[in-house]
Amino acid sequence: MRNPSIIIGLIMLALIVVVALAGPALVSQWLFPGERPGMRGSYRPYQLDSAEHPIGTDGDGRDGLMVFVSSIWPSLQIGVIAGATSTILGVVIGFLAGYARGRLDTLSRILIDMVLVIPTLPLLLMLAAYIERWDLYKLSLILGIFGWSFVARVIRPQVQSLRERSYVDLAVLSGENPLEIIFLELLPPLLPYIGYVFSLSIVGSMLAEAGLQIIGLGAGGLPTLGFMIAKGFRESVIAIGLIGQMLLPAGALIYVFLALNLINTGLDEVFNPRLKTTIEGGE
Amino acid sequence: MTPDSSSRAAESSEDEKTAGRHEVFLYVLRRFGVYLFTLWAAITVAFFIFRLVPGDPMNILLGNLARAEGRQRDAAAEEAIIARYRHIFGMDEPLPLQYINYLRKAVLSGLDLGPSFVEYPAQTKDLVFRRMPWTIGIFTTSVLLAWIVGTGLGALIGWLQRSRLSKLAVVISTLLQITPVYLVALGLIIYVGYTWRILPAGGPYARHLQPEWSWEFISSLLTHAILPMLSNIIVIGAGFTLGMRALMISVLGEDYLTFARAKGLSPFTVLKDYAFRNALIPQVTALAIIVGATLNGTFIIEVLFQLPGLGTLFVQAMGLRDFNTMQAVVLFSIFAVLTLTLIVDLALPLLDPRIRRTA
Repeated sequence: MRNPSIIIGLIMLALIVVVALAGPALVSQWLFPGERPGMRGSYRPYQLDSAEHPIGTDGDGRDGLMVFVSSIWPSLQIGVIAGATSTILGVVIGFLAGYARGRLDTLSRILIDMVLVIPTLPLLLMLAAYIERWDLYKLSLILGIFGWSFVARVIRPQVQSLRERSYVDLAVLSGENPLEIIFLELLPPLLPYIGYVFSLSIVGSMLAEAGLQIIGLGAGGLPTLGFMIAKGFRESVIAIGLIGQMLLPAGALIYVFLALNLINTGLDEVFNPRLKTTIEGGE
Repeated sequence: MTPDSSSRAAESSEDEKTAGRHEVFLYVLRRFGVYLFTLWAAITVAFFIFRLVPGDPMNILLGNLARAEGRQRDAAAEEAIIARYRHIFGMDEPLPLQYINYLRKAVLSGLDLGPSFVEYPAQTKDLVFRRMPWTIGIFTTSVLLAWIVGTGLGALIGWLQRSRLSKLAVVISTLLQITPVYLVALGLIIYVGYTWRILPAGGPYARHLQPEWSWEFISSLLTHAILPMLSNIIVIGAGFTLGMRALMISVLGEDYLTFARAKGLSPFTVLKDYAFRNALIPQVTALAIIVGATLNGTFIIEVLFQLPGLGTLFVQAMGLRDFNTMQAVVLFSIFAVLTLTLIVDLALPLLDPRIRRTA
């Protein structure tokens, strides 16, 4: 895989992971030795940008930069856990649906199409109303459970087309059982595509999470980028002049989406060579 | 050609036409059947999700009320009140019976989805109908505009794929497409609405106005609608642009296009009748796919711009734990998404003769 988009995307992702993991420790060590910048009430709230507080302090009297760097990791975690959940569910269902024939096939297609069109946001919000105490894993799992239909929808036709190849017929003739066929013959060639879908699912989950926060009904209190944006909007930090406290988390979200999008474009070119030849080869 | 054979030819083409019409009819019928089934299943899923999630809505609602009033009720009285309300809202019956009653009322008594908990005895149906025009208006207008702009731009960019401007356009639309719609909305509110004060960015119309057929009111309504719609148009339009570009590029590589050029057709004819027409069909299908996600985005946009649509109604109902209203909004949005998807699917055969024949 010497695809430049994939490499750039991976480097961008690696960078933000480093910032997310090492950031909180670095910021508190370098900028605030001996202080607790992430504690409520450590400083006077809503201080403007200064040498001491590069993007000011937030409404709870915490350093804005500290809040920002510690928000990245939970956001990424939610994206990955939820993305993995929906990818695993969707791949299993997509494989079953793609491998089945006849009536079962029709039924599974209708089921997938059905779940796909149900607008998920109201359902998610509805669940949010019931759940009294949110934690990161609960939220991620629920987001993941709502995202599988898209994965199943795109995996199913891939499995169907692979199943008709002659090497699969050969495997059937040589006496492999359905499980062997699925895991040894059908799954390996689809791995890059599953990676592509996984990456799309991460984007979808992070998008949904931040959306829930911004509408004001998400897992309140979970320190994510979406929560920081939502809080900033509600406290109108822009009007106060604390632009960084909105732009940085928004920028970080877009940055992650861009990195994943680059990886996706690359994987798409690897998986779908025709795209590449028509783009680069011309007429 | 003898008159006889020509009349026979006419007859057979007439036959083909009726056969074709028959197939279109079957396609429409089958698609409609799937629509009804999906609608039923979605309603069922929503109904049971509501009731199977742990936590009794009545308990939560009345517990909140009691807490809001700040006084301690004795447990027996509270039980009695809850039982009374459960009876009023038909929630003391066994679940299957509740389900049948719900479906019966919804279908037979003219979409009776039960009264609102909080605005009792107002019907949730009426609350939904009052808010619906906002959501549907913003949603359909912005999706259609985004589709038209995106398809046109995408076709152009794909056609001129080697020019520098078109490469720049691809980069810009990629960036816009991956930006969440609510961040675009926030950006527009903050910069266009508050910092530069170019356009109003909150509320459905100017506060001092009353809904009426006057130019002042209508122009206020329209200027207030620009930013919410623009948020949708920017993000979805960028997606359509990229989609159409990719479709154009793959169509441009086809043999029949080379042939059309070799025939000496003018570039404009090739673009219009050969490339654009063929790229258009998947682009219409894409329209059907984004409907659900866009409705989600529109709900958030409404909340951010303080428009009195369904999204706002839902958020308000949720704050008050008004479960009947929430359920009505969910059912309505499912209905809207399914119906819009159905309309797009039924429009497809008009565009694509191949679907008409093979359907």
